Amino acid sequence: MNKPDGFLKRIMQAIGAENLSLIIALLAMVALIASQTEFFFSARNLFNIAQNMAVVGLIAVGMTLVIVSAGLDISVGSIAGCASVMTALVVVSTGSVLAGIGISLLVGLALGLVNAGIISFLRVNPVVATLATFSAFRGIAFLIAPGGRPVGVLDPTFAQLGSGRLFQMGEFPGVPVAFVILLVVALGAHFVMSTTVFGRSIYSMGGNPVAARLAGINLTRMRFAIYAISGALSGLAGAIVTARTSSGQPASGTQGLELEAITAVFLGGALLAGGKGTIVGSMLAVLLLATLSNGMNLLGIPTFYQLVAKGLLLVLAVAIGQWRMAHAERVQARLTSTGAT
Amino acid sequence: MQDPILEIRDVGKSFPGVKALSNLSMSVHRGEIVAFVGENGAGKSTLLKILSGDYQLDEGSVLLDGVEASHASPLEARLAGFRLVRQEPEIVPDISVAENIFIGEYPRRSGGRVDFVQMRNTVTDMLRRYGFWGLVDIDASGRSLSPAQMHIVEIMRALKQGVKVVAFDEPTSSLTHDETERLYELIRQLKADGLGIIYVSHRLHEVMEISDRVAVLKDGVPTGDLKTADTTEAHIVSLMVGRELEHGFKREETTRDEVVLEVEGLSSRWHDNISFRIRAGEIVGFAGLVGAGRTELAKVLFGEYQKQAGVVRICGQETRIRSPADAIAASIGFAPENRKAEGLILVRSVIENASMAVYSALSRFGVLRNQQMISAVSPFIERLEIKTPSLTQDVGKLSGGNQQKVVLARWLAANPRLLILDEPTRAVDVGAKMEIYRLMDMLAREGMAIMMISSEMPELISMSDRIIVMNNQKISQPVEKCDATEERIVNMALGTATA
Ligand SMILES: Nc1ncnc2c1ncn2[C@@H]1O[C@H](COP(=O)(O)OP(=O)(O)OP(=O)(O)O)[C@@H](O)[C@H]1O
Ligand SMILES: [Mg+2]
Repeated sequence: MNKPDGFLKRIMQAIGAENLSLIIALLAMVALIASQTEFFFSARNLFNIAQNMAVVGLIAVGMTLVIVSAGLDISVGSIAGCASVMTALVVVSTGSVLAGIGISLLVGLALGLVNAGIISFLRVNPVVATLATFSAFRGIAFLIAPGGRPVGVLDPTFAQLGSGRLFQMGEFPGVPVAFVILLVVALGAHFVMSTTVFGRSIYSMGGNPVAARLAGINLTRMRFAIYAISGALSGLAGAIVTARTSSGQPASGTQGLELEAITAVFLGGALLAGGKGTIVGSMLAVLLLATLSNGMNLLGIPTFYQLVAKGLLLVLAVAIGQWRMAHAERVQARLTSTGAT
Repeated sequence: MQDPILEIRDVGKSFPGVKALSNLSMSVHRGEIVAFVGENGAGKSTLLKILSGDYQLDEGSVLLDGVEASHASPLEARLAGFRLVRQEPEIVPDISVAENIFIGEYPRRSGGRVDFVQMRNTVTDMLRRYGFWGLVDIDASGRSLSPAQMHIVEIMRALKQGVKVVAFDEPTSSLTHDETERLYELIRQLKADGLGIIYVSHRLHEVMEISDRVAVLKDGVPTGDLKTADTTEAHIVSLMVGRELEHGFKREETTRDEVVLEVEGLSSRWHDNISFRIRAGEIVGFAGLVGAGRTELAKVLFGEYQKQAGVVRICGQETRIRSPADAIAASIGFAPENRKAEGLILVRSVIENASMAVYSALSRFGVLRNQQMISAVSPFIERLEIKTPSLTQDVGKLSGGNQQKVVLARWLAANPRLLILDEPTRAVDVGAKMEIYRLMDMLAREGMAIMMISSEMPELISMSDRIIVMNNQKISQPVEKCDATEERIVNMALGTATA
């Protein structure tokens, strides 16, 4: 245990051998982008990447729970849209930032419960159920926005949620508030997934729902909790979009988030069949995706190409997942064979 | 002598942390039945999966009918004439039995359409010819099949045109006595047709009865290749285990007065007015044919299926059980027979699978403590001799018998008042079987009530204090241990005798 490679092994365990290839891919990409443009490593650009991660990151945390439980939530972007509009309306009418954040979580939670109800009680497959609410919730977002138009919010305190920074010092631009929120949420979720009864039960039900039920896990209750969490985090992401754009947006800023979050979770090592996936993996993948789209912007690649690239990436994510499973096994075997003696 | 139809030379195969096979050589001739025996995890299934192309060998070579087949893909292996009847059949739930049998090889009509008529006719012929007609409905969906019926489907899959070697991986572990007899008939027929046959089983009396030669494996290394006629069960066991093992298990009566389970007038879709009780310290065996409703009874008691009438009392208290969670709260445990579908989370680790049912007991404020998890399950993992490179290995990568033991370990760790075991020793080796008997005996001594569903007569008779026979939605009067004979129980199960 106290061998020189013990330290390396501990670090490896913390990251998880299966995430190694993600880190390698990230480093390779950073090297490639940085070699093309010096601006990449500037404090301002890094700040931007961190800020851009927050919205997708929060949704990807919830999506990890959903996908590990062998579900899928396509409605996350639409939930964020509803929450964005509601938050704007509440902040405008009450002037309270806390009430705004509170309502975003509540709206998200309620819509998540609707998803769970459709899946559990009407026995609709999660893909179909959330594809339906993907459309319905987007409609609701337009309906609650007066005239179907964005709702302006000119509250400087509230705007901090989107563009505020902490730990600013001289040249150092500080850390975006939204990124700190993501960090806290992700750490909490990591703890829940890896050490709590609730988290372990998500893995069990995703791996084999029948066996999980026969081991005493209440699948319906689990599903409600999981979709509610996914909804609430999507709602919070919606509030951040509102704060960044100074307006409650029924559509802009929250469209396509489902694609990015789902891509991140699969890229992070989750299996479509459920039972596998980690918060650490998903977050590394979000970082990778944010870096990629930042790089494409810096290199001046047109948006339409970027859309194509995002689609390709989802396919690649699932394909890499298969390959990485086999690879991680080999890495782990090498670690145990060198470190076990 | 003729050239062998299958020849295996110096085959070796490793998995991370495990050397599953090394230096294995053997041959199978036309019309010969070679039995393959060894403890759980000895490498038997691995060899068969190499032959079927599921796994690739690391060393050595395989010749099938004189043709090199060392690195065949599953399709190539099949075309070359090798067919495997798997230990864990893969059944597609939403298609019919006939389609399941022909999956991947549908008979075609012009324009690429499936010839359903020909498919049904062929399947009907096959079931008739091989003596399984009437045991499975060819139009039933895969979902509705019992484990025995799934196995029949799997066997039928193997018997297509062009087959030269058939390997059976524990074919009888989910079959009852009668179905096993039919399987022997079938195997003898295949032997007469000049096929090479490999037969893997933990039931040595079957091996003695059916095989011509026995090959023994221990930890992936061959330890014997004997003519069946020249050897004995005891000798085979000593080659498998590396030591002598006592034969059979003797239990003393440990029944106490306290009634743990009392079922009164229970009716459901599968049962009609059933009443019985199980006392603390008592093991009650449930016998019956496949489809008699024993597994369903277990599931009704465990809350997975709903009852229509009747009362269930646990320790004298009337208890309403609507879900497995309720049952666990009422201190009932249930180790299902179909471990892959109902028992295990194959993509999760040994420790998670073994501790799943006791998560809440092991946690404080919903947070699980790793040390607690390890100390709760590792004694049972050791006692059951579960062969795994580590506690964090995915259960899906263990051998079949070791997977079964993980399900048992889960319920031993949960330590319920009433433990329902559905075919507890299915697919486990002789040594582990003894250990499971010893554990059951110990638990009974400590006052646990055990309901044991089993299709193995010797096990039922030696382990049960009383045996209840199910037949036609009803149960018999319990047969006391002293009155229980194999013949009597079989006759009661068939309905040809009364209690
Ligand atoms: N896919 C796999 N990955 C890792 N290890 C494996 C894999 N398949 C088998 N093993 C290991 O190889 C060894 C041999 O397994 P195998 O399934 O061949 O045993 P077996 O003799 O069929 O046992 P049983 O009687 O329990 O079915 C076991 O230690 C098992 O854990
Ligand atoms: Mg096996």
